[in-house]
Amino acid sequence: MKTLFISIYLVFAIVGLPFLALFLLRKTKAILQNRIGPPLLQPLYDLIKTIRKDEVVSKDASYLFRLSAFFVFSITLLLLFVVPWLPLKPNLFHSDLFLIIYLFGLLRFFAIIGGLDGGSPFGAFGTSREAILAALTEPAIMLALVAVAFTAKSTNIASALAQVDWHQFNHLPVWLLAATSLYLASLVELSRMPIDDPNTHLELTMVHEAMMIEYSGLSLALIQAAYALRMLILFGLISQFLIHALAIILPISLLTTAILTVVLIISLSIITAIIESFTVKLAWRKNPEFVAFTLSFSFFASLSTLVEGLSL
Amino acid sequence: MMLVEILEIAGALFAILMVGSGQLRLNLTLFAWQTMMLAAATAIQAKVLHHEELYIIAPLVAGIKGLLVPIFLTWILRKIGSTYFDQGIILAIPISMHVAVAFLPISYLLASSLSYHSWQPGTIGGVTAGTSLLFTGIIFMLTRRKAMSQIIGFLTLENGIYLFGMTQTKDMPLIVEMGVLLDVLVAVMIGGLIIFKIKQSFEHIDVTQLNVLKED
Repeated sequence: MKTLFISIYLVFAIVGLPFLALFLLRKTKAILQNRIGPPLLQPLYDLIKTIRKDEVVSKDASYLFRLSAFFVFSITLLLLFVVPWLPLKPNLFHSDLFLIIYLFGLLRFFAIIGGLDGGSPFGAFGTSREAILAALTEPAIMLALVAVAFTAKSTNIASALAQVDWHQFNHLPVWLLAATSLYLASLVELSRMPIDDPNTHLELTMVHEAMMIEYSGLSLALIQAAYALRMLILFGLISQFLIHALAIILPISLLTTAILTVVLIISLSIITAIIESFTVKLAWRKNPEFVAFTLSFSFFASLSTLVEGLSL
Repeated sequence: MMLVEILEIAGALFAILMVGSGQLRLNLTLFAWQTMMLAAATAIQAKVLHHEELYIIAPLVAGIKGLLVPIFLTWILRKIGSTYFDQGIILAIPISMHVAVAFLPISYLLASSLSYHSWQPGTIGGVTAGTSLLFTGIIFMLTRRKAMSQIIGFLTLENGIYLFGMTQTKDMPLIVEMGVLLDVLVAVMIGGLIIFKIKQSFEHIDVTQLNVLKED
């Protein structure tokens, strides 16, 4: 019975939750703009439609163009198993924080190769911007994960999340600040609003959309599915951090953790939609100022672990 | 870590985040949050140390420095109709924030090298936050152009001195603290009026151009 419940939960979280999160993101934005919005299964219909369409590949593109789409999707699947973003998930791999960071880097490498290989000027445009943003956010994500790993004295993020530090208030600021930093970084990573407008129609202002502008058919479907799964992984990791901060204050059972994770991932995507409705896209030159806040929160998180280490 | 320390350090963090933005209205909002954190810390300190005077000082700090001063300065900003943006000088704005972050561990080292009495609870966090607020205020004043930013930086510095005093003295006389608050209020009023006058005579409030007396 317990195994059955866990399998249903895992299948729902991996297959159903990305569609649900994407649907809620679009629906919230639509409601805030006085539109009716898409039906519940719209992300699924979009995916099926994109898969069934014929694929058009530019005559300038080499074999790397299609291959990189497959690489992006498969590395995302690997990340899905390496990152401890879901409770009850069996730990098949050692979820080392540097492995996570470099898998994200590899993912972006193949996305960039694919964007450049298409031969379109807009693709190169978006790709160079994405590369700059990646270089800016990587130290922030790394520092936040290192700060979290420092509380467990191990580079394994899963063991940091597995430890029970009930009433260790020293660890509370670390988890909260790391979660804040990771959320701000994931807004940049997922090309959401203050950095990039996902609904823009002008290629000159796009970042992520311009990078995949040459893709169509199955490759596009794979890249979009990889995007949805990446959103799930990042939001799931943030919600694990927040749940862990809550677990310091009051004891939480495993079942509550599992339900809270789903609730938090859904509410994070709704919060992202609300932020997207009420802010404007920053001018490109202002983006480093936004990313600087992310880095500052990571510094705060790592400094709070340092303070704890000194007072021991 | 105790609640007082968490509130005090949260105040210091709000001050550091304030350095990261050039928007003057956002700066004022974050300054108000920072002062509110310090006022809440004062109220909790009053409960812990059984100092009845601090119960009177906490709402005064929240009311005068946390509400009245930011509202007055926002009103001045709207009145002079200048741009709400300060592009900074010497250092880029994100780098000045990271410099302020770098002063946080330095102030922790300074705070932990002091010696404390046993009756002071949660002092290392308070002194860290106070020293960090001092440095942050100085960095903010050094790296900004507008006269309004100079006032905000000065007020942050004053918050640091207030926090340091609150954690170090056994009983801060109520009359002294109220006098300091009145002084701050008067200083902000005079500063606001001077900004208004500068704007009228020079048509800008950029302090880097005030060292030239004659226009050529």
